[in-house]
Amino acid sequence: MCNRQQDEVLRLENVSVRRGTFSLNQISFSVSAGEIMAILGRTGAGKTLLLETAAGFCRPEAGRVLCLGEDVHKTPVHRRNIGYLYQDLSLFPHMTAAANIGYGLALRRLPREEIRTRVEEIAQRFGILRILNQYPGTLSGGEQQRVALARALMVQTPLLLLDEPFSALDPVTREELCCLVRDVCQEFQCAVVLVTHDFREATTLAHRIGVLLDGRLRGIVPAVELFRADWDDEARSFLGLKPNTRE
Amino acid sequence: MRNRSGGGWFPLFCALLALTALGLVGSNVAVIAVRGFHSLPACLTQPEVRFALGLSVKSACISTALCFLLAIPTAYTLTRSVFPGRRAAEIVLELTMSLPYIVLGLSMLILFSSPAGKWLKEAGFPVVFHQNGVILAQLIVNLPFAVRLCSAAFQGADRKLECVAGLLGASPAQQFLTVLLPLSRNALISAVILVWSRALGEFGATLMLVGVTRMKTETLPGSIYLAVSTNNLDAALASAFLLLVISALSLTAANLLGRTGKQRSRYV
Repeated sequence: MCNRQQDEVLRLENVSVRRGTFSLNQISFSVSAGEIMAILGRTGAGKTLLLETAAGFCRPEAGRVLCLGEDVHKTPVHRRNIGYLYQDLSLFPHMTAAANIGYGLALRRLPREEIRTRVEEIAQRFGILRILNQYPGTLSGGEQQRVALARALMVQTPLLLLDEPFSALDPVTREELCCLVRDVCQEFQCAVVLVTHDFREATTLAHRIGVLLDGRLRGIVPAVELFRADWDDEARSFLGLKPNTRE
Repeated sequence: MRNRSGGGWFPLFCALLALTALGLVGSNVAVIAVRGFHSLPACLTQPEVRFALGLSVKSACISTALCFLLAIPTAYTLTRSVFPGRRAAEIVLELTMSLPYIVLGLSMLILFSSPAGKWLKEAGFPVVFHQNGVILAQLIVNLPFAVRLCSAAFQGADRKLECVAGLLGASPAQQFLTVLLPLSRNALISAVILVWSRALGEFGATLMLVGVTRMKTETLPGSIYLAVSTNNLDAALASAFLLLVISALSLTAANLLGRTGKQRSRYV
């Protein structure tokens, strides 16, 4: 566990990325340790591309992405120290839930007993202790989501990127998992960037919220000010607010 | 007969042509199965047939192992790396797949008859007219095929899973060993079976490189060739029957593994 309460973990500096005909333009923001930032946007707004760029899977045409002060594109993938939860969860189908969760620890050559204890600890918190020996294909959507979250949190990376992590869940489970993720992230002091189209999810979980529309970040505000901030008309329309009245 | 796209003359016409195709192929299989089966017991007692069977199985096993030792890293490089000349490398491999194997055999004969080949012979690794040549011919003929099968297996595996493994701390080698290889396991095992059975039936390149010498470089296909040359049809059919049985078994094994893979992927 680290103590970097106000330390900057992720910084995007004027990042522009192109994928096919779509592009992200001049994206800049930073996230500190222990902070959860949500990026809200419609489907096709570029949310996943933004996360993939932050993880270093897409090389920007301009600007740079820094994780703990180092350019992610200059760091090999396995040394980036970034946790990533894909929307489709991407659990390893040939491993049990326990092996999925403990995968990162096994790579760090921790003793088998310690891995088992830590996996069981986190599984207990996520309520998935009884399914640890099952394969992902036999788990429900909610269970798979918990396993994927536990796997991402297990290695305690300083940065966690979550791509619509609760999209397939019922409201009750979503609420429960939101609280759990918030608590665990606070405890591990990791910076979280979460992309979603769900306002409730963003306001429940995040400290700050950015609105991404058509590849442009329209602003970042504290979560409590999401519906009070001075957004442009397009962002207001997306948020369900009345257009600005110009005098 | 019912057609999923509807009735009419076209499905019937296609079915008739399909029957013709089946008849053409099936009649050959039937001849080997029926006549070969009768000749088998007597022929199996002949040392030449037993030698050919032994050499074929041994060389096919060694060449298949060598083949995958080279094919797996090649396929990994071709499917997971970006480098100049990648397409050219793919074309070279595909080209050798479409070449008649006798042409490959001829090029190997020239290559191993060169000073380099002679040097190899002096160093204790004779190739031309030697059993080593059988293995080498099977290896060269099957390598592009094995690379293609391995590439298809690797392309079928979800690359995102390797990215996830990478971010969890897996080096490229660990991603390969813990994620890509297990995910491609069934496809690779069926590839091994198919390549092995192709190696067993290889003839064109082997004939050019090592010829067919009784009890020396005589594989099962070579045994058929020699038996027909000496008008010993029963021995030829018995060897053909052996090849048919081995092919049928390996095809069944490959299909079973393919089916297991599909059933597994349905859950994930």
